[in-house]
Amino acid sequence: MIRASDISVRLAGRPVLHGVSFEAAPGRMTAIVGPNGSGKTTTLKAISGELRPSKGKVTINGHDIAGLKPWELALKRGVLPQSTVISFPFTVREIVGLGLSTGGVDVSGSDRTVDDALEAVDLAGFSGRFYQELSGGEQQRVQLARVLCQIAVPVRDGEPRYLLLDEPVSSLDIRHQLTIMRLARQFCERGGGVIAVMHDLNLTAMFADQMVVMKAGRIRALGAAKDVLTDETMEAVFGCRMQVSIAPARDVPFILPQTASL
Amino acid sequence: MPRSEVMDGTRGPAFSANIADARRKGDRSGLARVLIAALAVLAVATFATSIMTGAADASLGNVFRWLVGETAADQALSMRDRIIILDIRLPRAVLGTLVGAALAVSGVVMQGLFRNPLADPGLVGVSSGASLGAVLLIVLGGTAFGPIFALFGFYALPLGAFGGGLATTMLLYRIATRSGQTSVATILLAGIALGALTGAVTGVLVFVADDKQLRDLTFWGLGSLAGANWTKILAAGPIILLSLSVVPFLARGLNAITLGEAAAFHMGVPVQRLKNIAIFSVAAATGASVAVSGGIGFVGIVVPHLLRLVIGPDHRYLLPASALLGGTMLIFADMLARTIVSPAELPIGIITAFLGAPFFLWVLLRGRSNMGL
Repeated sequence: MIRASDISVRLAGRPVLHGVSFEAAPGRMTAIVGPNGSGKTTTLKAISGELRPSKGKVTINGHDIAGLKPWELALKRGVLPQSTVISFPFTVREIVGLGLSTGGVDVSGSDRTVDDALEAVDLAGFSGRFYQELSGGEQQRVQLARVLCQIAVPVRDGEPRYLLLDEPVSSLDIRHQLTIMRLARQFCERGGGVIAVMHDLNLTAMFADQMVVMKAGRIRALGAAKDVLTDETMEAVFGCRMQVSIAPARDVPFILPQTASL
Repeated sequence: MPRSEVMDGTRGPAFSANIADARRKGDRSGLARVLIAALAVLAVATFATSIMTGAADASLGNVFRWLVGETAADQALSMRDRIIILDIRLPRAVLGTLVGAALAVSGVVMQGLFRNPLADPGLVGVSSGASLGAVLLIVLGGTAFGPIFALFGFYALPLGAFGGGLATTMLLYRIATRSGQTSVATILLAGIALGALTGAVTGVLVFVADDKQLRDLTFWGLGSLAGANWTKILAAGPIILLSLSVVPFLARGLNAITLGEAAAFHMGVPVQRLKNIAIFSVAAATGASVAVSGGIGFVGIVVPHLLRLVIGPDHRYLLPASALLGGTMLIFADMLARTIVSPAELPIGIITAFLGAPFFLWVLLRGRSNMGL
């Protein structure tokens, strides 16, 4: 379980998060949504330990992350950043392989894992390509493969592990959006936990068990997609009127941008 | 017998086919290991050649026979040749190896740390900071810093250079890094500014220096191995070897930090500690090198860049390969410096600048798009 208790974060003296609390249980996918600048990424950074909250605390499986060493954290959770620019000519295999050495310790260490991870993100056969030559979406999937090497199994020594993903599908085509969301889903089904910052509300509604809806550094709604995605919440959070409908076949809410008015 | 022939016949090609196959799949570690072995052989060969090259005639065979104590060798090598080899050529080759390795490895570590293939101690002002430290000691040594010389003896100069290098590196890091990212433009511009500033202070010191000090100082400007002797090796060697022995432990961390400081932290790297150790070892290695051989430029940028083209940026292989190639290249440049205008000799810094500066421009133009310039 990852638990954020009343965390507040200040960036350059300016308050960005105001008392954010939620829980992300193993076996469930938690999605953080909200308009630009609402504090989604900051929340994820506070949970990963990258930013230290000025108030409140974050625990992972009961441990306060402020008291964990970087390599201890790296064994419990992997983090996918929004985008990664690299100025050296690494091959795809070399980048993904970086995930194998966590805090100087080879966790699994076999080349098989790199190939598995690449196949999982639909990049089999890309291992010899240079990272810098790939498209943005391909680079994003290479980084995800690296994270999957760091956190290869969802449960280690009986302890669930977590993937923290910052807009994992934002630069992907529709097929790969589904591939990656399924991958995250499977990670949850095998006992791990996922927290993802998302923009696509429909994709989120399809895959997430829990939605954290943020606005201006606060949580505005929290719960299952069915309960959270309402006309009122959408208007209050995103500032545009939209009609939430329910897909009859799958009992999943969806929003058509065509119904929106600003 | 036929069986072993078959094995020997197939193993070589199969071995290189394996490496080529792995290379196609993006794994250059096999290639890197072969290259490191080849560079080690090359380093030994260059070292031996440099000891034999020069006015006095001393073939490798004669030197070797003398070293292992064969009686006949007394005739093979005259007393004069022995002195030339032991007290002039050997220290020069040893110092060249140490300084070349130190400069190349410092380049790799700085480039990794700044995530920037153009960072080099010489270009971004660390070397000029280090020489300022040394110059300060030389000029003010008689007065303000007298006690330092008394306390540290011949370690004073390397320590002074180390202090200057450390201060510049830390300042540079402060200036050029914003929320864990460094921009190529900022670091190069900050390097120019810092270089100009330290140059100005050095200028003031040169202005107040006396004649003897002035001769010492001119030497720092260009860089040379001409003054190599065992005392200098004793002063700089331990510092260089110490920092070179720390650096392999940084390899994985430097690999991770190429993805950014945040990503490195996410992968379990204690980023702040890594940065501290890296900055400290770069300053120590550069400082010690500058103290004994002056500002020899461009080794730290040419060597790592050439190697990255072949074996890639994985620091586990790049660091040892750079140490070997750096040492080799500097000895080679020193041989050029000694023979081009023989019997006089050029300062080695001129040779490395002639080779390195165009190379640097080529790297800059080639990588423009990738570096946001």
